[in-house]
Amino acid sequence: MEPLLQVRDLAVHYRTAAGQVRAVDGASFDVPAGSIVGLVGESGCGKSTLGRALMGVMPRTAAIVAGRAVFEGRDLVTLSPAEHRKLLWRRMSFVPQTAMNALDPVQRVGNQILEVLTERGGLAKGAAAKRAEELFALVGLDAGRLRDWPHQFSGGMRQRASIAIALALEPALLIADEPVTALDVIVQRQVLDVMRALQARLGLAMILVTHDVAVVAYACDRVVVMYAGRVVESGPVRAVLEAPLHPYTMGLMNAFPDLERAGGDLVPIEGAPPSLLNPPSGCRFAPRCPFVEARCAADPVLVEESPDHHAACWRTSEAPLLRPRAAEAVTWSR
Amino acid sequence: MQSASAVSGHPAKPGAVRRAWGFLRSQPFAFVGIAIYLLFALVAIFADQVATHDPRQILFSGTFRVARYLPPSMTHFLGTTAGGRDVFSQLVYGTRSALTVGVTAAFCVVVLGTLFGLLSGYLGGWVDRLVMRIADVVIGLPFLPFVLVISALTRPSTTTLVASVALLLWPNTARVIRSQVLSLRERGWVEAARVTGCSPTRIIFVHIAPQVAPLAALYGSIAVGWAILTEASASFLGFGDPSAISWGLMLQDAFNNQALSRGVWAWFIPPGLCIVLLVLAGFLISRGSEKLLFPKLGD
Amino acid sequence: MKRVLGRLGHALFVLWAIASLTFLLFRLMPGDPTLNFLSESFSDEMRLALLNAFGLDKPLHEQYLLYMWSLLQGDFGVSFLQKRPVLDILLEALPNTAALTVSALVVAYAFGIIAGAYLAFARGTVVEGIAIPAALITRAAPEFWLGMILLAWLSFGLGIFPASGANVAGSEFTSEWARLTSADFLWHLVLPALTLALYLQGLPLLLMRATMLEVLNDEFIVMARMKGLSRWAIVMRHAARNALLPVATAFALGLGQSFGGNVVIETVFSWPGLGRVLVSAVQGADYPLAQGAFIMIAGVLVLMNMVADLLYAWLDPRVSVGAKR
Repeated sequence: MEPLLQVRDLAVHYRTAAGQVRAVDGASFDVPAGSIVGLVGESGCGKSTLGRALMGVMPRTAAIVAGRAVFEGRDLVTLSPAEHRKLLWRRMSFVPQTAMNALDPVQRVGNQILEVLTERGGLAKGAAAKRAEELFALVGLDAGRLRDWPHQFSGGMRQRASIAIALALEPALLIADEPVTALDVIVQRQVLDVMRALQARLGLAMILVTHDVAVVAYACDRVVVMYAGRVVESGPVRAVLEAPLHPYTMGLMNAFPDLERAGGDLVPIEGAPPSLLNPPSGCRFAPRCPFVEARCAADPVLVEESPDHHAACWRTSEAPLLRPRAAEAVTWSR
Repeated sequence: MQSASAVSGHPAKPGAVRRAWGFLRSQPFAFVGIAIYLLFALVAIFADQVATHDPRQILFSGTFRVARYLPPSMTHFLGTTAGGRDVFSQLVYGTRSALTVGVTAAFCVVVLGTLFGLLSGYLGGWVDRLVMRIADVVIGLPFLPFVLVISALTRPSTTTLVASVALLLWPNTARVIRSQVLSLRERGWVEAARVTGCSPTRIIFVHIAPQVAPLAALYGSIAVGWAILTEASASFLGFGDPSAISWGLMLQDAFNNQALSRGVWAWFIPPGLCIVLLVLAGFLISRGSEKLLFPKLGD
Repeated sequence: MKRVLGRLGHALFVLWAIASLTFLLFRLMPGDPTLNFLSESFSDEMRLALLNAFGLDKPLHEQYLLYMWSLLQGDFGVSFLQKRPVLDILLEALPNTAALTVSALVVAYAFGIIAGAYLAFARGTVVEGIAIPAALITRAAPEFWLGMILLAWLSFGLGIFPASGANVAGSEFTSEWARLTSADFLWHLVLPALTLALYLQGLPLLLMRATMLEVLNDEFIVMARMKGLSRWAIVMRHAARNALLPVATAFALGLGQSFGGNVVIETVFSWPGLGRVLVSAVQGADYPLAQGAFIMIAGVLVLMNMVADLLYAWLDPRVSVGAKR
């Protein structure tokens, strides 16, 4: 079956005073219908930019400069603004980071749902009010809260309200930008559980943009790992996290504490990602990679090493040998 | 790496001058504002050279006819007043009173406002409450009416004017400085100074004051404009110092002597224009300085 | 409700302080204070009556109590020059000032809000490059000078508008309301109100533009775009509503400040309002009238400051409705 969303070689550049920042520089991955895909990477890797670029709402200084994003058979990149607007919120919607101002502070929360239902969903006020209550029930919020103002909600409640608004028109795809980052751990779990339950019940696809691998491990079916504006690995979550093919992913796995094997040291990846103003040629992870070789001076391409598991590294075939070495701290020390 | 100046033996040129120049070139607003101030200051200083006549002298055309309402000409660039005085010379000498009043009043406002803001913000408690209460009352006083009443009850003079402007305008500066002091008070280095036994006076004036100085200066540049406008209004209404030469008095003179109905534009347009320029200069400088003082404020 | 009472109490305190200050001002000036309240033109009976009423021969603290007591009863004393109660004179002038101030502010703010919102979208265009300096210039110009220009041009020059006064001399009206709504009054109102509006519009324009620019960068506006809402809905329903909060407060504050600031405009246009009453009273050493006019102007200012405070709290749900979990 065709994936719901197929991204190929997408590139998004920002104009800045210092020059062009190539925030996303050739990203390719698939989102099958009804799956939850985690888009993971460190700050500045381009994942948030990618999420917003798919929605087509970016700052004036940013633009998609290359690539395709085929959603339900149509390329989002070449769509006219009018056509694009028809898709917005009806077929794909967005849940922002838990910022206070994601909701209009001078409008009641209920009105903000009603607005979407009546303006874009064409519902009459009565039907819209009923639907708003249903949506709140879906995310586990009390219907009485619809009359409240945004500042009266806690962070977790605001996130759930945002999710309710995002589901208002029953989209096929929900993009969530760091949906649980600003929440404490217990609330994180609650919100993620809500999202998983919704996905199971409504069958929509989700993209969860996050820097937290634990979130991906907990909530996602598939994972896409980004580094320096590129996709370096993608595949089913178990395959990628338990048997990573790319050295960066291997390093990521080391950086998270494992409760089962308590007492081990956390192993950080030394160094920092390259500047996206003038990215180096060749593999972008090479300067920090413990397995770097001469051929890494050439840009690796995304290859399908095992079914449905892609990685962009020249040494993916040797991954089973590299993994045990990657698990040792001494491999990563300079 | 040795600097060139160390090699040549001269002391290194202070970076401050280069930085100031760089700042000016990057901030066209502030540059224009400072240029305007400089221009007026030069005219004020060299008024004797720039003016064509004695501003107070009544001029005659012919033996007995006073040179009233003369149109602009090569001898009288802006013509003459109803009383036969040269408008241009009055305009030139008017810069002196405008700048004196403006700068003095602004200085007083800044000093008063900063002082109260510092004390109120740092000491808190009853000092804070008292100062803020007084500020509330002062803010409740209608500005121009108060200036008029004071000028009438004492004799109208530049000093009373400057004093009343300073007395009424300090609260806004004080409140803003107080806010800044409140946040600075919690910083680590203030706590450190307290712990090492610095007296409050020292902390306030040696440590905190320099930090609020830029903000105070910002308000000062705006206060100059306000003071000049107030002086002009007061003089126009007849409450300014009648023996001084000021643009406000020129406008009053023009208004009272049918300059409007006669259409003597050269008489009443230029003084107003000068006021606009000088007040505008204050706005421009404060707008331009915002970037330097508060770089995090994106445009 | 608590907040309203609190602000009211605060306003009353400030008013009391200002009244006391005025008391001190007029009595502690050098010279014989009784002269401030008694003019040679008064007959002897009047002088005695006034001396008694004001207690001018009594010690200062007794005078003060008498003064406050009379104020509370609305007795502002008697005007020297016009020989009638000050309050009557003030109440005649009040509607004129109110009409001038309110109409000028409404025009200024209506224009400023719309222009400011428009400019927020016209960033980086030529229009912005011209409009912003123009707005700054109107804020830098003395209002009476603007009035003079308009007078010379539109009244004396082109003869369109009358040059002074609020009504043609000698006209009679059935009631105050009839006078205020008469075509004659309104026609006289145009120039002074226009001048004041020209001077005042700079603030709402620049303020609205600045707040709009801030608001348009807020996350919820980005969200509104992602929801595919129409441009109109985004700007009017979401952006403008948020941006109007400080502007509404400024309106209330401006009302209070303009009441006193109208002094110069009223002089230029010979507009018979409170400001003009104050100026002529001060010039003519008619101190009870001057005192009364000053207190009334201050009263409006303090009242509007309070209104502005409450208005902001009421309009912003973050302030009026506390957080509840």
